Amino acid sequence: MTASAALSVRDLRKTVHVGFRRRAVEILKGVDLAVAPGEVFGLLGPNGAGKTTTIKVALGLMRPTSGTVDLAVGGLSRVGYLPENPYFYDYLSGTEFLTFCARLFGLTAEARSERVAALLEDVDLTAAAGTHLRKYSKGMLQRIGIAQALINDPELVLLDEPMTGLDPIGRVEVKRIIERLHERGKTVLFNSHILGDVHDLCTHIAIMQSGRVIWRGTLPEALAEAPTLEDFFIKVVSA
Amino acid sequence: MNQLRAIAVNTFKETIRDRVLAVIVLFALLMIVGGLWLGSISLGEEGRMMTDFGLVAVTFFGLVVAVFVAAGLVHKEVEKRTVYILFSKPVSRPAFIVGKFFGLAATMAIVIGAMGLFLFALVWILSKHPSGMILMAVLMIYAQLLVVMAVTILFSTLGSAILASVLGICVFVAGQLSHNVLALTRLGKNPVTEVLSWVIYVVIPNFSAVDVKAGAVGEQTIAWGQIGLWLLYLAAYTVVVLGLAAVVFRRKEF
Repeated sequence: MTASAALSVRDLRKTVHVGFRRRAVEILKGVDLAVAPGEVFGLLGPNGAGKTTTIKVALGLMRPTSGTVDLAVGGLSRVGYLPENPYFYDYLSGTEFLTFCARLFGLTAEARSERVAALLEDVDLTAAAGTHLRKYSKGMLQRIGIAQALINDPELVLLDEPMTGLDPIGRVEVKRIIERLHERGKTVLFNSHILGDVHDLCTHIAIMQSGRVIWRGTLPEALAEAPTLEDFFIKVVSA
Repeated sequence: MNQLRAIAVNTFKETIRDRVLAVIVLFALLMIVGGLWLGSISLGEEGRMMTDFGLVAVTFFGLVVAVFVAAGLVHKEVEKRTVYILFSKPVSRPAFIVGKFFGLAATMAIVIGAMGLFLFALVWILSKHPSGMILMAVLMIYAQLLVVMAVTILFSTLGSAILASVLGICVFVAGQLSHNVLALTRLGKNPVTEVLSWVIYVVIPNFSAVDVKAGAVGEQTIAWGQIGLWLLYLAAYTVVVLGLAAVVFRRKEF
């Protein structure tokens, strides 16, 4: 846990109460995590490991039962987030949606139009800027989702399953966006089940299982223990 | 303030672009025109019948839009998970609730305004002279519906959209009958009933204090001072209810 981490999570616990009898279910059982500035960090784990919950607690969408989250980048105003399988306002066009997001950060009219135009170009959606989001393909929605996550030029970008459901071309496009963010020195944390993408993009990884981080280190450290990231992942989660 | 305005503008776009709204308004206009027939069979009371029926149509369709749209406003954002996009940004939850309210209030102003102006024009054509009281009555209906919207938004933060809609309609009906509740307290036979009636009378919005509709059809003289106080009361009621909705919504996890 470093003091200079862009995101640090310490002994994070989250219990929810489900069903009629309000049965307690512990989703996070003491998560420790630190993401240093400039890293592309892959958060891996089987379904139900607690990856999305960790991100939601970090963003304040859920309250922690105990533990701490520190967004050292300067709070939510310096963070961008793309949720898993995002849904956007389908009655808005791409430009209207991004303008709305920019307004939430209080950008001036001039800054808004400049930023929106630049982002639409960045995610290759300039031609579809005036089209309503209901007419966007899955890949286009994912890209407009990334654009909204970058509207405030964030220092830390959290992407929850950004490649899920995309065709190969869509995946390549999203990968290129993440690579460009890395080149610009942004910190990126993303969840993914697609280990090939994690291998191509990440400098550091952590593996979660049953509400805990069971392994963390650099990509070369992981590959030193197994021939592929997939083999390493299976080895760690089945240990 | 920027956030509140952004959310209000977005809500306005969301609601005004809904095709169901256009269909409801069309039905309302048809019903107001249908009042012409009612007027034709009421000898010597055409204008009054038309005004009465038209104001009922404005109230009914306005209530349908206010309650059903308000019930879905917050719920849809949670269900479709657009709240993730909003609250991962530095957006305050009270700003979200108040922004949603103002956005729908703007849409309602257009919906009620269109229906009211249509009725005003129709009565003008029919009776050959304009009646400003119709517009005043429509404004009062709008004020009542704003309260119902706020109450429905509060209920939607507590339970399902359907429950919020039903409760919103119940509050509107109860508010229209609040003078009857007050009458119950005066019976004074049973102290429990008396206290209960008082509590209900105080809690539900009092929509029956001013009857502008009666003024619009020429049955009553309007006391402007009373209307002013009543509007202040409705505004205060709306602020309190929205405050409660914001408090409830702040505790929500997504």
